[in-house]
Amino acid sequence: MGIKKFLNTIMFGEIMSGLKLTFRHMFKKAVTLQYPHEKLTLPDGYRGFIVHRRYENEQERCVGCDLCEAICPAKAISVVGDIHPEFPERRYAKEYTLDFTRCIFCGFCVVACPVNALAMTKEYAHSSFTREGLIYSKEQLLSLGDKCEQDSIGYLKFKNMWEAENSGKEEGRYHFPPIPSVKSGG
Amino acid sequence: MVKVFVNGVEVEVDATSTILKAAEKAGVAIPTFCYHPRMDPAGSCRICAVELEDSKRVVMSCVTPVAEGMRILTESAKVADARKTNLELLLLHHPLDCPVCDCGGECPLQNMSFAYGASDSRFESHRNDEVEDLKSDVLVFNSNRCILCGKCVRICDEVQDVHAIGFINRGFDTVIGPPLGKKLDCEFCGDCLEVCPTGAITDKFVRYQYRPWQLEKTKTTCTYCASGCQMNVETEKEAIIRVTSSEGEGPNEGSICAIGRFGFSHVQSTERLDKPYARSFSRLVPTEWDSVIPEIAERIRKIAGTGPDRIATLVSPRITLEDAYLIQGFTRRVLRSNFIDSGARYGFMNAAFPIARATGTLRPMVDHQDLLKAKVILVIGADPTAESNITGLFLKRAIRKEKARMYYVGSESVSITARAKEHIRVLPGGEGLFAWVLSEEIAGEESSRHPEFLAKKEDLFKSFNVDPQAYTKLVQDLRESPTGVIITGRVFHRIQSASDAMESLLRMTNALGWVEKEGCGILPLPEVGNDLGVLMMGATHEWLPGLLDSQDPENKKKWEATWGEPLSYGKGGGLKEILEGIKSGAIKGLISFGENPLTHFSPNSEVREILSKLDLLVSVDLFQTSLSDQAHFLLPAASSYERSGHVVSVEGFVQALNPAMTYWGESLTDGEIVSRLAECMGVPFATRSTGEVSKEIFTLMPDLSPSTRNGDHFMGPTGNLILPTIVNQPPHKADRKTVMKRMASRAENWKSAITPIQPEIISGEGDFVFALNKSLFHSGKMTLLDPSLMKMESSAFVRINRQTAKKLKIKKNENVLIENSYGSCILPVELTSGVTENELQVPYHFDSPDLMGLFPGEINYSGTCSTVTMLRTRVTLKKIE
Repeated sequence: MGIKKFLNTIMFGEIMSGLKLTFRHMFKKAVTLQYPHEKLTLPDGYRGFIVHRRYENEQERCVGCDLCEAICPAKAISVVGDIHPEFPERRYAKEYTLDFTRCIFCGFCVVACPVNALAMTKEYAHSSFTREGLIYSKEQLLSLGDKCEQDSIGYLKFKNMWEAENSGKEEGRYHFPPIPSVKSGG
Repeated sequence: MVKVFVNGVEVEVDATSTILKAAEKAGVAIPTFCYHPRMDPAGSCRICAVELEDSKRVVMSCVTPVAEGMRILTESAKVADARKTNLELLLLHHPLDCPVCDCGGECPLQNMSFAYGASDSRFESHRNDEVEDLKSDVLVFNSNRCILCGKCVRICDEVQDVHAIGFINRGFDTVIGPPLGKKLDCEFCGDCLEVCPTGAITDKFVRYQYRPWQLEKTKTTCTYCASGCQMNVETEKEAIIRVTSSEGEGPNEGSICAIGRFGFSHVQSTERLDKPYARSFSRLVPTEWDSVIPEIAERIRKIAGTGPDRIATLVSPRITLEDAYLIQGFTRRVLRSNFIDSGARYGFMNAAFPIARATGTLRPMVDHQDLLKAKVILVIGADPTAESNITGLFLKRAIRKEKARMYYVGSESVSITARAKEHIRVLPGGEGLFAWVLSEEIAGEESSRHPEFLAKKEDLFKSFNVDPQAYTKLVQDLRESPTGVIITGRVFHRIQSASDAMESLLRMTNALGWVEKEGCGILPLPEVGNDLGVLMMGATHEWLPGLLDSQDPENKKKWEATWGEPLSYGKGGGLKEILEGIKSGAIKGLISFGENPLTHFSPNSEVREILSKLDLLVSVDLFQTSLSDQAHFLLPAASSYERSGHVVSVEGFVQALNPAMTYWGESLTDGEIVSRLAECMGVPFATRSTGEVSKEIFTLMPDLSPSTRNGDHFMGPTGNLILPTIVNQPPHKADRKTVMKRMASRAENWKSAITPIQPEIISGEGDFVFALNKSLFHSGKMTLLDPSLMKMESSAFVRINRQTAKKLKIKKNENVLIENSYGSCILPVELTSGVTENELQVPYHFDSPDLMGLFPGEINYSGTCSTVTMLRTRVTLKKIE
């Protein structure tokens, strides 16, 4: 046993070397946040809760085409289509349920949607004490969408799905015959 | 025969066939939009392009005939290029609205675009953005999606022969729809919907409610009429969404009528009985099977214990072979009764009984294929389109494509009479006399004819307005033509002398030598889906299963040996004897399986009072009916979409029913109900599954083994072949040799002239004859609860001759008062030139107004088989001011 080791033992050298790292971090900027008082800034591509979107004129975008239901790998979506009560030539979702207890937040439904009616948002803090509380109806999804409109636009822009709709180009796009009271056909 | 090479594979085909047919034979699929195997090729879609290796040319395979040594390439680069360009051109107008299109997911255009990657067009898109035609209640026409293949127009012309839709405008503006921008008014068969390769024609009843990939398909047989249509019932989550057909499959070859295609909603309506009901203190209260079965069993035991023939059963002809077999077994073995009858007693029995007596079988002598080969077709008192839609289609095809000469005998005009070579109008009541005169003319020698023959013939011409020239033409044609078929239908079977008239026709076919000739004979049209099967299974007092005389001790012994117990039923009887028995108190119980005798009798008759004398009245039905007001027990039955089993078609095919959904509520099949009852009564009548019962039937009567037509038909555009489902099927038609033998012994009775048939005496008084007919859009009373069919025909109306209406100053849709001494009713008018001047025609289906109220209370049971036929009555007609 050497003198160096002896001194190291009585002076708690190992502890000091450990504390050195601690003290160094005391002067650095904190990484953690004081959640829920502080919140993270999330990237635009963040895949949070899925919402339903509307056109500028408040008309809901969803046409009840069932494509999201078809692609959903977790079978979380169920759509019941029907004739729109006001416009007999229009299809709409009479019932739309998204079961967030099953959803795996993969974002496939947003890609499948032909009218950009779905988008993912930065919402993540939706919890419930019951399972039923996490099964969202169309109305819930729409009101959540109204709340997070900027998030959903950001997500679609990030995923390059905004361009297709707003470029004004006709090719390769779904073309729906014009629907009364809806200016932008989709 | 010529040899051609399809992608290097050598095939030998008929010299007249097209390249497409040759490719089909070589097992190569060529995509098509406008090609349809049942119609003439049009060559309008240009997608079936193939390359000819030698000439390096691209030709359309559906219209190009093959030539010797032709080398055909179906998948070359040139072909792919041609198809891709063609798709680009088709998609110029076609909107990309697949997500909201009902066809999306089963669309050949979508599949082709996917296969050839043609969604990016080199041409500038030109969208028409026309508004959809939503005028019709049944179909939606979307001209934007239409690729103008013309399939819908052609199937309406060539197959249905209805000509309801056509091309409107020319060039780029061409659209498809009903003429003059009117609302679609047709037979609503929906064949155009079925063949449309895009979403240009869609179903309005389920518009936007489904996506094709979510639907589960069940192949089953339609039981509305006896055509035996094979259909796909498509369900989502135990609910029927739509009914489709597979092209070329089954005896119907892919066509279904309006009732079969659209009439399924009532079976899933809230009106369906979902629980058994028992009467307690004059009210029907819901109860459980476990309590209701022992209760009924106890009451049956009490009644049946007093002796044989104390309880009667009535059977609906819509039930399966298996259920009919179980019910007749239950009646004869457990109830020890021979009082059993079916809905065939209201008419079809008049045809079935003489035919079975003469030929020993109920299998028809001819089928639809023979119609196509027949040179002369005689239709008496039938509306094939309404009664057995597919028979109607084949009849139309025989006239149109095979140039058969059709003679229509009857008072009214139906959809096919316009195609008849001669429409021999017989005033109402003269049909029986006509059959007798015709038969006597043909069968009898000039010297040995009945002494009254000439007088009767004169009577026919004078009193019944028969055109002598047309009659002579018919006689000559029948004598001279090598092959011929006689079709008889509802009106003919329901006249009072129907069984004698049928006997006359049989005598005539025998005299014409049609019995020996393959492809000649009589084709009686059953009224309801399984009329033939129910009779074959012995659900009638005359016959044990297998059409064996129920009173013959030999036959009794045969079935005693099979069932392993002595049969101690009495003489029994049909509906007439049952009602008489109940009246006299000899019959104390009645179990009705889906049959409601009240609707077939006048409210003036005492049938309701007779039924109230019963100690036990059990009604097994899908819905509450007028019978359930009197029933002590009301039991829920499973519908034909829910049960499995077999039914016999008009052509004699024994086809399977497959359950598309589970039993509604707590309902059970009729067979299960009687099995449970028997089990509860402690009778060894083992509860078996339907499959086991079918097996027993098919082993005991091997000629009834399942059979169908076109089980392995080429399925069309995508070229997928389905494997034949039935191997070694027995012949569906009657065996000529045994029929000849039986007929020879029966013909002994026909050597000398048979007694003339008296013209029908129609009850009531007045100038007009009021006749009940079958509607194209309804089947019995059950379909009145169907919202889809009710949109096509929602209420009763009376069809009046235009000239008569003019005389009486009656206009369309005005109400008229129809009256006689028995009752009266008010009906709106529909004008037609199809009925004779003194005839009024009303569809019999509707409950209000009560049409049976115009009929006399006393019941005339007619013919050798005591049928109950309320067909015509005399009335006066008044305009309501």
